[in-house]
Amino acid sequence: MSTDTDNVDLVDAAVVENLGRVALFAALMGAFAYVSFPNPFSPAPVTLQVLGVFLAGIFLGPVWGGVSIALYLAAGAVGAPVFSGGSAGLAPLVGQTAGYLWSYPVAAFVVGALVHGGLSVGDPREAGLVRLVGSMVAGTAIVYAMGVVGLMLVLGLGPVAAFMAGAAAFIPAEAFKIAAAVGIVRSDAFVAE
Amino acid sequence: MLSYEPGTTFAHALDPRTKLAFQAGFAVAAFAYTTPRGLAVLSVLALAALAAARRSPLAAAWDLRFAFPILLAAPLFEGLVVGPPWFSLARARFPALASYRVLLLLFVSAAYVYTTSARDSRAAIQWLVPGRPGRFLGLGIAVVFRFLPVLVADLQRARAAMRARLGTERSLAERIRIVTTAGLRRVDARADALSLALQARCVAWNPTLPRLGLGRRDAPVLALALVLALSPLL
Repeated sequence: MSTDTDNVDLVDAAVVENLGRVALFAALMGAFAYVSFPNPFSPAPVTLQVLGVFLAGIFLGPVWGGVSIALYLAAGAVGAPVFSGGSAGLAPLVGQTAGYLWSYPVAAFVVGALVHGGLSVGDPREAGLVRLVGSMVAGTAIVYAMGVVGLMLVLGLGPVAAFMAGAAAFIPAEAFKIAAAVGIVRSDAFVAE
Repeated sequence: MLSYEPGTTFAHALDPRTKLAFQAGFAVAAFAYTTPRGLAVLSVLALAALAAARRSPLAAAWDLRFAFPILLAAPLFEGLVVGPPWFSLARARFPALASYRVLLLLFVSAAYVYTTSARDSRAAIQWLVPGRPGRFLGLGIAVVFRFLPVLVADLQRARAAMRARLGTERSLAERIRIVTTAGLRRVDARADALSLALQARCVAWNPTLPRLGLGRRDAPVLALALVLALSPLL
């Protein structure tokens, strides 16, 4: 292990500020696993994890948003109870939830890149409604496509059974999350840096 | 909820890198040998991992209960056929084995989570990913561990406040927006306070972490991890 004891190498102020924001977003993503709402369309409750992915891309931008979600996965892998249902460890990353979890950083990057029109971060309120909704629809498609492929690979399901078990019951609720995200971006209640 | 608990078991005394290697080797073997015989051998190993952490499989299963619906549904969905006999055991066989394989993986990683502290995990991560990226990752992981309960409490307070004001009468999208906005504002305020506090305390790229050292008891577990990882080549 690399523990240095002779010199103290201070972290730059700019990096500390980014680190605080990115790591707290990762923790918020974990906290979202504990918030669930009854779903009007199916018995599976609505959790806010995918909304966390959208918001990371929208407010932190493609690069830092992706880093934040990757940090969330790393923290869960070493034991922070941040995955759905308060689970943790390496198993969720190779088990039945693998496809969804690995899709999150990709989706955060894509949502961020589409909303900001590139790798630089601007004010998300300047993005048009079509762009905002379109980017989140693309993000949803990535999450469920990779999630269903993950179920097929890990549980040996065919495409129809995997879609029935892992996407059909959850996709309608995504519309509520997209609507909520648009409301959050458009309001002045939370203004990104 | 899975979380670390201090203790003096065999698994607590192992080096975190050994435990990570064992999980990786176990996963490789579980995917390579998804057969009744292979899974029988791996079941013994998974139970041994829980025993090394002094945890009963039932207690672990209770902590992992949220994973069960999909694991049970997978073979049922795949076995469904249109027309008589409506259910095909032959088609449901592999998904059933695959679901069981995931259960064993969950048991083994639960044993890791029960017995490895955040500081030990952080030291292992920084050993695994050298240089500043590893240190950034280590610092970030430490922040996630620290702030997860705080933010969960923030969100619960926001929901309680919303309920008290008849917010439950609002539409689902509105309720999600209210709770999420509260969460984001708390993150913003806490991020500012955190970065100020980190700078005031001279946060460094080279903090002093627990010294990792492989002991005598790590050797057999590491050897087993290597055998499991190479088992597909046998």
